[in-house]
Amino acid sequence: MSRPRKFGWGVGVTALLLALAFAAASCGGSDSSSGSSGGGDTITVNWGTEPPSLDPGLATDTTSANILQNIMDPLVKLGPAPDLKPIPSLAESWTETDGGKTVTFKLRSDGKWTNGDPVTANDFEYSWKRTISPELAADYAYQFFGIVGAQEYNSCKSNCDALKDKVGVKATDAHTLQVKLTSPQPWFVQQVAHTSFLAVNKTAVEKFGDKWTEAKNIVTDGPFKLVNWQHDSRIDLVKNDAWRDAKDVSLKRVNGRMISDGTTAVQAFEANEVDVTASLPPDDIPRLKETPEYQNYDALGTYYYGLNVKNITDVKQRRAMALAIDRQTIIDNIAQADQEPSTGYTPKGMPGFDTINPHSPWLPASGDMDKAKQLMSQVDNPKKSITLWYNEDPAHKQIAVAVQSMWKQLGINVSLKAQEFAQYLEFLGPPPNKAVDAFRLGWIGDYVDAMNFLEQWTCKSGNNNTNYCDPSYDKLVDQARQTPDNDARYEIYAKLEDKLLGENGAVPIIPIYWYTYVQLEKESIKDTYNLNLLDQVDLTKVKVK
Amino acid sequence: MIRFIIGRILWTIPVLLLVILMTFLMMRHIQGNPFRHSERAVSPEIQANLERKFNLDKPWYEQYFLYVKGVATFDLGPSLVLRNQSVNDIVREHFPKSLELGFLAMLFAVVFGIPLGVIAALRPNTVFDYGAMLFSNVGFAVPSFLIATLLIYFFALKWGDIFGLPTSGWTGWQSKILPVIALGLGPMAYFARLVRGTMLETLQQDYVRTAKAKGLSGRRVLMVHVLKNSLIPAVTAAGPLLGFLITGSFIIEFIFAIPGIGKYYITAVSARDYSVVMGLTVLLSVIVIVANMIVDILYGVLDPRTREVRT
Amino acid sequence: MVVSPQDQRMRSPDPAHSGDIQVAGAGTPIRQSSLWRDAKRRYVRNKGAVVAGAIFLIILAYCIIVPIVSPYDPDEVNFQDRFLPASLAHPFGTDAFGRDLFTRVALGGRISIMIGFAATFVILVIGLTYGSISGFVGGWLDNAMMRFLDALYGLPYLPFAIITLAIIGGTPTKWTMVLALSIASWFTAARIVRGQIITLKQNDYVRAATAVGARWYRVLARHLVPNTLGVLIIAIFLELPGVILGEAFLSFIGLGINPPAASWGSMAQEGRDVYRTHPSLILIPSLMIATLVLCANFIADGLRDALDPRTKET
Repeated sequence: MSRPRKFGWGVGVTALLLALAFAAASCGGSDSSSGSSGGGDTITVNWGTEPPSLDPGLATDTTSANILQNIMDPLVKLGPAPDLKPIPSLAESWTETDGGKTVTFKLRSDGKWTNGDPVTANDFEYSWKRTISPELAADYAYQFFGIVGAQEYNSCKSNCDALKDKVGVKATDAHTLQVKLTSPQPWFVQQVAHTSFLAVNKTAVEKFGDKWTEAKNIVTDGPFKLVNWQHDSRIDLVKNDAWRDAKDVSLKRVNGRMISDGTTAVQAFEANEVDVTASLPPDDIPRLKETPEYQNYDALGTYYYGLNVKNITDVKQRRAMALAIDRQTIIDNIAQADQEPSTGYTPKGMPGFDTINPHSPWLPASGDMDKAKQLMSQVDNPKKSITLWYNEDPAHKQIAVAVQSMWKQLGINVSLKAQEFAQYLEFLGPPPNKAVDAFRLGWIGDYVDAMNFLEQWTCKSGNNNTNYCDPSYDKLVDQARQTPDNDARYEIYAKLEDKLLGENGAVPIIPIYWYTYVQLEKESIKDTYNLNLLDQVDLTKVKVK
Repeated sequence: MIRFIIGRILWTIPVLLLVILMTFLMMRHIQGNPFRHSERAVSPEIQANLERKFNLDKPWYEQYFLYVKGVATFDLGPSLVLRNQSVNDIVREHFPKSLELGFLAMLFAVVFGIPLGVIAALRPNTVFDYGAMLFSNVGFAVPSFLIATLLIYFFALKWGDIFGLPTSGWTGWQSKILPVIALGLGPMAYFARLVRGTMLETLQQDYVRTAKAKGLSGRRVLMVHVLKNSLIPAVTAAGPLLGFLITGSFIIEFIFAIPGIGKYYITAVSARDYSVVMGLTVLLSVIVIVANMIVDILYGVLDPRTREVRT
Repeated sequence: MVVSPQDQRMRSPDPAHSGDIQVAGAGTPIRQSSLWRDAKRRYVRNKGAVVAGAIFLIILAYCIIVPIVSPYDPDEVNFQDRFLPASLAHPFGTDAFGRDLFTRVALGGRISIMIGFAATFVILVIGLTYGSISGFVGGWLDNAMMRFLDALYGLPYLPFAIITLAIIGGTPTKWTMVLALSIASWFTAARIVRGQIITLKQNDYVRAATAVGARWYRVLARHLVPNTLGVLIIAIFLELPGVILGEAFLSFIGLGINPPAASWGSMAQEGRDVYRTHPSLILIPSLMIATLVLCANFIADGLRDALDPRTKET
């Protein structure tokens, strides 16, 4: 009996150790009770996942962006679709000089941090240079590489201060911010609406270091204040009465849960624990669509299948594979969120879409199996056995299974391989692993110009996993970069689309559909709770009925 | 005596280092880039900045040395993905919740499992016995994800107005009921079966028969002798169970959106947050290894025979 | 090895065996024929075990035969037939792709059971190797090997299983699942085997064999390992429920095997998304797991009665 009884002691000792290790730790504040939309000016949203960072310099994901847009004050915001023109926010105006190579922002004088300091152009100079600095090691530092000296400073290894001073961002006075660009970039002002370009409060950052984003330390300048952040559990915001347009903000408080699993989130919504939730499980959408709370929005994104053109060399086979996919069936039966079968790569909703879209003959919504088979029969040396890769996720898996069965009708044997996302991205390169014949990916716009989508297919692009490389394509992209006039640039984008997916296109990719965002929203806020093309909500506009 | 204790402690150190080394080497072989969170490529310059910042550009033995040094000073390093948090922060914030869930589930299992076993054993081969055993068999065999799903559907949604239990979260006692049941049902079944088995056996023992023969009342025999002796194995089993309940609640935390360490562990593995995965694995291993060491030493002190056998 | 019933492996809670398992024959030379005949007689006397064994065989037969005779291609996608209710043509209905669930559950069962047995087998092989080396050689090596086991006793296997799957990369195949499930689960098996071997070593017939000059490997192979067989057969069915639940668990959190193949765990995971409208998609695979686990448990009970009669003399 001596050995078994040992574990009686085990209980005690294990418990004691655990208690010792964590007793001190568990003080972390009592969990206030949750509750849903109690009063008429409080709502509870599901943020989805824990934001990896609420530091504008370090944030890269949509949850962080969504929260930051509501607690910080950007220089400019994006106007309504379809133009998405930049509109003034903290910057009351801006001017472009030097042929578009210098942009000067004029800031409002009533911007105010929650610690009482005024928001000045110096804050922006400090913040942008901080994000570019190699010490912060920000993922999104590349957003700034259009600015003179930014890339050099970011890749600096020693004695970086000299390079820091050469970065083309300067506060010429408290309310004037001058930015020097490496070339004319007509989309730059729109790009500044991105969270990477928000200002941070120098005092808070220097005082608290890495911990400055915690609820008790954070200093913000937007319409809402962050009052509670229990990691992986909840983020609560309250209205910032000191914000310049606080009188127009109707919500007093926004409670936020973090429920990442779709089924769990839908259950919480149905039990009135949250008023808004996204991440609906696709197979449950037919049921949810019947409810008045279902809502869908256009998104600036494309779900596509890429083809490794070094493995599937014959363009006829690639076209046949595109024609064989019945994308409407995939949308109706698998994706199910009212997505639109894409007719080109650049998504609907992009400024200039009507000019850019190629109406690809290879992408009829329901496919064209006869034509596909006919094309396939003309292929000299068809690749009859291919491997299709996707990242582990129920919806991607289902689409891959469907495409597998569609390509099988062409006489192509498809084996499916899945990987976890992090590993998958490494595996795809570029250049992609040799074992990759076809793969699924999606692209969601960082900023609203088709350049963000089309430059992906240049030879040296870090996101071109297809091995497609056409120097004339690259030349057109360069030309577009030098073309500040929108209409003229859209014409060039149209030529790029044509090279990819037009009548004589190389078809390195098969766009499947343009994304939508689907949500459940309680009817009391449905009219005023709206997502923009980048999956962000403007909480200042939300009103509870 | 002293020699035995020192010997046991010295044995623990190489095992600890070995486990850390194994975890460390395993983590190094996981493919995938912790700095790439989306389709967007990370440029070589930015990747280099990140690797320099987190010491990933150093040779592996140096990283291992730095890591062991950190562990020795209770510093598990920074998270690679949650850029404003250290692994210590994550442990401090999430571990207590898993701990609480585990303890409550254990409590539930003991409070309901033991009486169930006693009832079954006192009336063997009756309806009570069969009922109790059927119930505990179900609890033992049905996977917890099904139990959790059914509990949520019935008690939070379908009859939500009556019971008023939330579907998810870990705030307030109401939200803790369903996850504790879902996690505790299995161990409860385990205790019920265990207690029933031992009690049946104890009731056959000579000393119980003697006690009865001596005229002690049935109830007294039951309380004093049988129950006491039957509970020993249950207590014995509780230790290992508890360790697993605390760490083994991955699915329950996932389904109920409880911000515990299990849910976090899965997220960290898929995000390739090396330092978090390592930190949590090492932490867990260290707790288990040190607990085993202390138990062994206590046994050596209390029962010299084990010492002789062992050295 | 630490025990926990859900998501974890669990050993049957019989107090007489909470430590080491002793098997009839351990103390005596092998009496092959009568030992096994007695065992069979005792097993048959345990009604629960007999019924469990029968159900187990029926499930096995279902999983093996149905996919062979089924008129449906289990992987063919047919969106017209999505989510059909149960009918004569589709006894379990169809899934999100219009595939026949009766056929797919059988295929999933093949995978779950195969992985369960294979992982158990690997666990026992590692345990047997480690335990018999440790127990047979003895001395400082035994001491070192046991110290190592002592330190790791109670280490949860799931984190290591998850890391292993991540290291191997890609969607797990059957074999990577087997590896992941066994990599940190063999500690108990090793301990049991060592205990058994040490007991056996004391026996007269082993001493006699050694005395007449039998080589060590001969002693090990002819006398020691075969006599641990009983323990191992019990151990298979003791480990099996835990391994099957472990596989289901890993599949449920999305670390399951390659589609279009699926195990019961990954089918349950897919089913959970639609449990409100089509509850059978989560219920059927989950209940199959439950049935299998229960059967294995009863069979283990029966086997123990059969192979270790001392405990149930009454």
